[in-house]
Amino acid sequence: MKKNDKRYFGEFGGQFVSESLMNTLEELDQAYEEAIHDEDFLKEYDYYMKQYVGRENPLYFAENLSREYGTKIYLKREDLNHTGAHKINNVIGQILLAKRMGKKKVIAETGAGQHGVATATGAALFGMECTVFMGEEDMKRQELNVFRMKMLGAEVEYVSSGSRTLKDATNEAIRTWAKTAEDTFYVIGSALGPYPYPKMVKEFQSVISRESRQQILKAEGRLPDVVMACVGGGSNSIGMFADFIEEPSVKLIGVEAAGLGIETGKHASAMALGKPGTLHGMRSYLLQDEDGNIQIAHSISAGLDYPGVGPEHAYLKDSGRAEYVSITDKEAMDALLELCRLEGIIPAIESAHAIAYAKKQAKKMREDEIMIVCLSGRGDKDVHTVADYIKGGIPG
Amino acid sequence: MENRIEQKMKLLKEKGEKAFITYMTAGLPNMAGSKELVKAQEQAGTDVVELGIPFSDPVADGPVIQNASYKSIQLGTNLKKVFEMMRELRAEGVQIPIVFMMYYNTALHFGLDYFVEECIASGVDGLIIPDLPLEEQGEIKEALKKEGAPILIELVSPVSAGRVPGILNGARGFVYCVSGMGVTGQSGNFHRELLHYLSEVKKVSEIPVMMGFGIEQAKDVAPMRDVIDGAIVGSHFIRLLEANDYKPKAAQEYCSTFKKELNEL
Repeated sequence: MKKNDKRYFGEFGGQFVSESLMNTLEELDQAYEEAIHDEDFLKEYDYYMKQYVGRENPLYFAENLSREYGTKIYLKREDLNHTGAHKINNVIGQILLAKRMGKKKVIAETGAGQHGVATATGAALFGMECTVFMGEEDMKRQELNVFRMKMLGAEVEYVSSGSRTLKDATNEAIRTWAKTAEDTFYVIGSALGPYPYPKMVKEFQSVISRESRQQILKAEGRLPDVVMACVGGGSNSIGMFADFIEEPSVKLIGVEAAGLGIETGKHASAMALGKPGTLHGMRSYLLQDEDGNIQIAHSISAGLDYPGVGPEHAYLKDSGRAEYVSITDKEAMDALLELCRLEGIIPAIESAHAIAYAKKQAKKMREDEIMIVCLSGRGDKDVHTVADYIKGGIPG
Repeated sequence: MENRIEQKMKLLKEKGEKAFITYMTAGLPNMAGSKELVKAQEQAGTDVVELGIPFSDPVADGPVIQNASYKSIQLGTNLKKVFEMMRELRAEGVQIPIVFMMYYNTALHFGLDYFVEECIASGVDGLIIPDLPLEEQGEIKEALKKEGAPILIELVSPVSAGRVPGILNGARGFVYCVSGMGVTGQSGNFHRELLHYLSEVKKVSEIPVMMGFGIEQAKDVAPMRDVIDGAIVGSHFIRLLEANDYKPKAAQEYCSTFKKELNEL
């Protein structure tokens, strides 16, 4: 339907924003296209990826996990990045772009706080003013990250409208951006929003698959059979998929949060049960009620707690290129604890969703087949949630 | 039948009057109360009423309209009930032009064909969809080709600049000029080059030019009186209704005063 429009992935994507942001998006698109074709910009990005973020990070062969699950499992260690997750890859890219465009201030939305912390970090590094919008509900769940952002010099704005979570924090960031776009750059943390954001976030996160591809070829001499990552808005997954999308032999799997179970209605599986619609500047799969209002997502992991998904994922689903599955809170927590014990790695609850599905997927695979799982972040931020969960037993 | 908005615009031009347009969230204080407010405004001489269809994520709105939307959703307002109210209003002889102010997802959710048919059947005259810029309007414009379909009202902003001619090409009814950057209800903070921007739009527009966002009293638009054809009041009107328990009489008094003062500027 919109096949020739660069702003679209199939029928998904676009620019569903107010008229007052259209010139801003145009300016951003031009600046971005110039930047990614500029050797100096790319060199600067690579420099910070190496010296500041600590890339490349390992593609670790998880021997114990492989033995236990019965197939070869490699973990892409995004958890070892500075700030503890993949979010920083994109933030550095966008802030370098903001700097190049002469913007002095950045704003960001955050759910779990990882993107907020990454943005506050980037802003501190490049001497920019930073405001992070965060839902009141999430601020309670992720108190430590709120404190981290403040330590890094960012203002954290409470958002108390609507469901008081990521969805509403994003609304508030968009409103503020519409008012202040002249001097403010909006750093979007996931592979969503109006064009060119989904494309830009993918570009800056594609470093994950670029490295993985080289690393697996070196280790195994061939491409993997399966590549897997968790999907909230879809930034680590689109980065993990990017360089494998054109390789038909590689199966791509995105893992959404099933929360308390898809049948309970308390989940964040936009792909499984969502319907195409428009929110936050894009057209994609969204959880909606019977009146067309956006529903509140549920997941034990704040980072997956989003009622939509990035438009390229919607397209990858509809075109059949990628498969999307979901994992409950309980399955994710079990996998988290299993990874701790088997490999001595504490993963973020988000990433544990991918580990949980790896266990299921491995059953369909031979011992000599290869799976790469994106370990998108570390679990230090989740220790309180895990403790409460273990104390409270396993609901449902 | 000629579209009610276009009829009204023609009439105002003949009389040399400026248009007074209000925004109210549908379903407040309840569906019946909303109906009474529309009727009171028609009697008071309001020229066009924008009916806000509440949506869970109103990104183009400031806190006043956000809260009103939220309250209305809590009370169970949805698109189907608003269509029902429209049918009743028209059956009861209400002729004031009515524009739905809504977010695109609500129309998409019900299917654009169904949505447009219901608009025609219930007497909706126009649509304002703040998250649907020119580049994304193709699909709905296709659906709006049906006989008697509402007009898609175009919005322009102070930074639209070179985009204005494209936006106005084929635009009908009136053009909605947003007075400032950002969201509804930021009073008194008009964009610094407002007058210049409005005159630029006025120069190229073949349809009436309305100014909205941040207006409270008729005198607020006095400096722009030579370049605009009317004023739109949203957040302030909502606050006034809230402060007066949604009494139709309060709406009527405010609207007739505004309309009178607007034409005396």
